[in-house]
Amino acid sequence: MYKLTGVTKLYQKGRRTVPAVRDLDLEIEDGEWLAVQGRTGHGKSTLLNLLGGLDRPTEGIIELDGINLGALRETQLTAVRAEKIGFVFQTFNLIPTLSAAENVEAALIPLRVGHADRQARVAAALDSVGLADRAAHLPSELSGGQQQRTAIARALVKEPKVLLADEPTGNLDEDTRDEIIGLLEHLWHERGLTLVLVTHDTSLARQAQRVGVMSKGRLTIKQDNRPAPRPDTHPVAAGHDPIA
Amino acid sequence: MFFATYLRRELRRRMRQAIFVALGLAVGIGLVVTVSAASAGVKKAESSVLASLYGVGTDVTVTGEAPQPKKASANGQPPKGATTIQGGPSGATICQNGKCENAAGKTISNLAPQYLPIKSAEVADVARLHDVAAATGGLLLTDNTITFPKDFGKAGGSQPPTPSTVSVDGVAAGHTALGPLSAASLTSGHSFSAADSDAHVAIVDSGYATSNNLKVGSTITVDSVKFKVIGVVRQPQSASPPDVYIPLEVAQGLKTGPLGVETGDVNTIYVTATSAADISAVQHEIAKLLPHATVTTAASLANEVTGSVANAAKLANDLGKWLAILVLIAAFAVASLLTMSAVARRVAEFGTLKAIGWRTRRIVVQVLGESVVMGIVGAVVGVGLGFAGAAIISRVAPKLSALIPGSGGGGNFQSQSSAGGGPVQRVIGGSPDRTIAVPLHPSITVGVIVLAVVLAVAGGLLAGSFGSWRIARLRPVDALSQVA
Repeated sequence: MYKLTGVTKLYQKGRRTVPAVRDLDLEIEDGEWLAVQGRTGHGKSTLLNLLGGLDRPTEGIIELDGINLGALRETQLTAVRAEKIGFVFQTFNLIPTLSAAENVEAALIPLRVGHADRQARVAAALDSVGLADRAAHLPSELSGGQQQRTAIARALVKEPKVLLADEPTGNLDEDTRDEIIGLLEHLWHERGLTLVLVTHDTSLARQAQRVGVMSKGRLTIKQDNRPAPRPDTHPVAAGHDPIA
Repeated sequence: MFFATYLRRELRRRMRQAIFVALGLAVGIGLVVTVSAASAGVKKAESSVLASLYGVGTDVTVTGEAPQPKKASANGQPPKGATTIQGGPSGATICQNGKCENAAGKTISNLAPQYLPIKSAEVADVARLHDVAAATGGLLLTDNTITFPKDFGKAGGSQPPTPSTVSVDGVAAGHTALGPLSAASLTSGHSFSAADSDAHVAIVDSGYATSNNLKVGSTITVDSVKFKVIGVVRQPQSASPPDVYIPLEVAQGLKTGPLGVETGDVNTIYVTATSAADISAVQHEIAKLLPHATVTTAASLANEVTGSVANAAKLANDLGKWLAILVLIAAFAVASLLTMSAVARRVAEFGTLKAIGWRTRRIVVQVLGESVVMGIVGAVVGVGLGFAGAAIISRVAPKLSALIPGSGGGGNFQSQSSAGGGPVQRVIGGSPDRTIAVPLHPSITVGVIVLAVVLAVAGGLLAGSFGSWRIARLRPVDALSQVA
């Protein structure tokens, strides 16, 4: 799914050059749940932005399904985000003048989905996050948890391959946080998404298959609970001589 | 559907700002419409003045030189041909060309051309010019009559009488569509036909007919020649019409004194150009052909017409136009600033839309759509304000006036009196300057309404384009970092 090779991102702060990400090599498999932890300012969100095509690396290559994101024009990157990548933000980032249903629908506009099809998919998405009865409410009329559910529905309505979540529970209380994480886990499991989640919360991170820690721009994998790859059962391939 | 919903909700969210922008555009547009309407009304007023002076269909008027009054000779003798009156103890005496007689009880009539003659061949030359569609001649004359009281000239007798003046216009009987009768409306009788070209018939002006109790069938006298009135006409108010119209050929046969018009001569030519664009060229060609004549067009005459109609035209064209432009620029600037401010407040929103896959173009169209809607609302309200402004002008604006300069020339009638004060010279003939009231009717054309809508929409687009430029340069990561 994702292959990062020698990825570096530098920012210019006046005369200083600040390395947000340094020489990162990483592969993220299809259907994997990767949690990224680390202190503020150590490159977590920068890594997420690079994975989402919101920013370009200063050096190195980021490939998504074999496509070099850094080599794409802006319109091509936008198309990749429209089709393959869903975002969930800490501050929900809903359009304040649109209802929950219209916010979810906004994600389908770039895909030129027909009106009837759009309505059906929006209803299904809101239903999957338990907000079918809040479709007509504006964000100001929803609780924090409901707003984040709406944002998740918006991210998933286009059936992306990747879901990138940047501190999705950062602005929520404990109970709501558990609710949202439970929802994300359920959807990840149900849909086979590749989920990359940035979080400060260690207990939350431990629920992921793999946990990496960003420190001064470098990523160190601290936990890897990914299932071992299944052995190949073909007799010849295993070196087993069926005749002997 | 989504586009309209998003647009409507966003405008409702910043309703006050949207109304402010739309109203600003409306004021600018309203001013443009009002100034255009006032300008159109003033132009119409000017045109009506000029059309009545000029006649419908006349693009260029050519007149001979104005005759100069002849001066007395070095020894104080009157110029040759002049009629002089001298008073003495035995009474007043009229002398002309050395022949004298008692003036008391006498009536003296003098018919003189208002301009020096133009040969008929020259009329034909003008008609043959390139860009000339038609040309016809006319003869403007002034008939001065003095009737002396029986005791005039005696000690204690009557004062010198005031001559009566009748202006006479010889017109081509078969070509009344061009020239002084073209703008007139017939109130009774009928106009000249080609068959009247050598008949002693006359058409009189309605004002002259009223003052002299004339009607169709009456008889008038011009230079001691009787004419039968066949029609009465009314000229537009601004015209300074002749009192009497007679067929040109008959006018050319009357005795016109030492300034003498020979048979076939005219002193005015009325010309129609092939198109409005050719008028200036025709004017130049005629001026080259007849260097001593005065060649005027409606445009050059417009420069002579003064009074408040001319001032109003200047006001509408100069001050009004520039005021409208300045207000529009200010409205556009305010709309642009407010739109940019709205875009700045929505940077995070646009960043999110870009993050979820919206192309820059799609976001720009959304913002431009909001600006265009404000422009359209501004246009509708602005046109309404324009109509209201035009109605107010129509109701409260003071009546305009046009000062028409008098026509020159005519007459070699001089009078002298020995009763104190020295010689008295009276210039007789021509018409004085006239001031006439001109109604102002502002008018709004479809063209102005279309212009108003186009300007308002353009203003909206201009305002939106500044915001769109900002959106186009927006990087999603920078926009989203503002939320964080």
